Amino acid sequence: MSHSAWRRCFPGVKLLVTEREDAVPASVRSDLEHIFRAAYPRVVGVAARVLGSRDEAEDVAQETFLSFSRTDVPAGEAIGWLCVAAAHTALNHLRSGRRRASREEAARDPRVAVSPDVADAVVARDEHRRVRAALSRLPRKQAVALVLRHSGLSYAEVAAALDLSPGSVGTTVRRAESALREELNRHASSR
Amino acid sequence: MRHPGDGTLRRLLDEPDGVADVDRDHVDECPECRSRMSAAADDALLAGSALTFDVPDVDVDEGWRRLSGSLAGARKPAAGRKFGLRSPVVAVVGVVALLGGASAAAAGDWFPIFKTEKVAPITVPQADLVQLPELQEFGTMTRDARPNVRTVDDARDAREITGLASPRINNLPDGVAGQPRFLVGDKLTGTFAFDRARTEQALGQRIPQPPAGMETSRFRMTAGPGLAAVWPGSSGAPALVIGRVVAPKAFSTGVPFETARDYLLSLPGLPASVAGQLKAFTKDGGTLPLIVKEDSETSFTTKVDGKPATVLTTEGGAISAVVWVDGGFINGVGGSLSAAEVLRVAAETQWTQ
Repeated sequence: MSHSAWRRCFPGVKLLVTEREDAVPASVRSDLEHIFRAAYPRVVGVAARVLGSRDEAEDVAQETFLSFSRTDVPAGEAIGWLCVAAAHTALNHLRSGRRRASREEAARDPRVAVSPDVADAVVARDEHRRVRAALSRLPRKQAVALVLRHSGLSYAEVAAALDLSPGSVGTTVRRAESALREELNRHASSR
Repeated sequence: MRHPGDGTLRRLLDEPDGVADVDRDHVDECPECRSRMSAAADDALLAGSALTFDVPDVDVDEGWRRLSGSLAGARKPAAGRKFGLRSPVVAVVGVVALLGGASAAAAGDWFPIFKTEKVAPITVPQADLVQLPELQEFGTMTRDARPNVRTVDDARDAREITGLASPRINNLPDGVAGQPRFLVGDKLTGTFAFDRARTEQALGQRIPQPPAGMETSRFRMTAGPGLAAVWPGSSGAPALVIGRVVAPKAFSTGVPFETARDYLLSLPGLPASVAGQLKAFTKDGGTLPLIVKEDSETSFTTKVDGKPATVLTTEGGAISAVVWVDGGFINGVGGSLSAAEVLRVAAETQWTQ
């Protein structure tokens, strides 16, 4: 069983060993903290666009940096690598389960009236869920390109990160946006 | 002239300088391309709107602390992988260990509001477990002091730093030998403040009126200090861990714990089965629930030194641990041992002041 599985099994039980702080192993790349501090908000932002959840996005960002810490990706390519990894990891989370959706459903108690303010929040949340569902159905490369582009990466950065030509970034993003619209419309018309 | 491709039109929206002059000029003159570009702009706007999710004020310092902790925790000898099930032995230390904290997942955050005097298991299906709300969605949770777990020279140092008795066992289980190393951790404290608006936002619905004073109360939670003796196994991962930590306690600036607990448990989102089990606990507190996932571990209750204890065993019985609460301390024994072995060690351990 994995370490994280144990943590899930015993939530709230903080592992003595993992609570050791100020003890980043010497084997971890020396520029990690510098890169982390520069890129963490952006990586969280990429994951948040996919997941529509700050907490989940921070989890994904942590997972991404853990993976990054074990690589020798040049510092100059770090941001692209991290953003792509965060997008993939977040999309994996989307596809691996409907946990949040089921939690949100379960959280609704029909016996309690919904106020207008809260209703707005519910609508917003439903929108996020629809978008996430649509995103998870896009071809992976399109989805990643779309998220990266809308996270502020330039065409050149998206091209480098996804090993595409800058010209084909526009094509990929365009197809992704068109597919996203179709997915959203299809979902809306089937409701 | 041929019409530019969709990709070129799309880039024209974002980075016109990246598009050749000849294509830009063509689009200016071509109604068909302008129409295509308008459709692309609409789709881009829709996608941009759909993917907007602001995350203001990302706490980089907290993120770095969390990553540092994970990196330190992930530092296991390669042999740990080789031996597969050996590495969870490290995790079994957790049974000995510290409770609470703002980032603890799901239900764990709820429980430090109980004063701990005994251990009782709660078994929930995995589906319910992930359904439990996270406390930070219901207010603010701050961690005021961290445990700073570290290795010390010997048992005497561990005792002096923590003020706790250290464990001694004369008859080690087969496969466990040598002198242990000692870990200590300082007291952990955190504070929770309930926020009704945030809770309603998280749950997406109105919630019942909180008890008077609930929203102005502060719940300070403490756990620790703690210590543990760790015997290395042949793989380098711990083969046996015996430890003790001062049990979690909670202090309220207003609403009594029991009132807060009952209210929190009544909120929609907590699985009815778990809420029911929690409500069954005595109102004067005194129970530390442990959540055990049904499908990969087994647990049973027994007694250690006459105190109620919970035994946890991984599927296949490779890893076992026993936890019991006695005199305000959570005690634990764990390792790559059978349930019978950890119970024998638990019963024979002497605690030296």
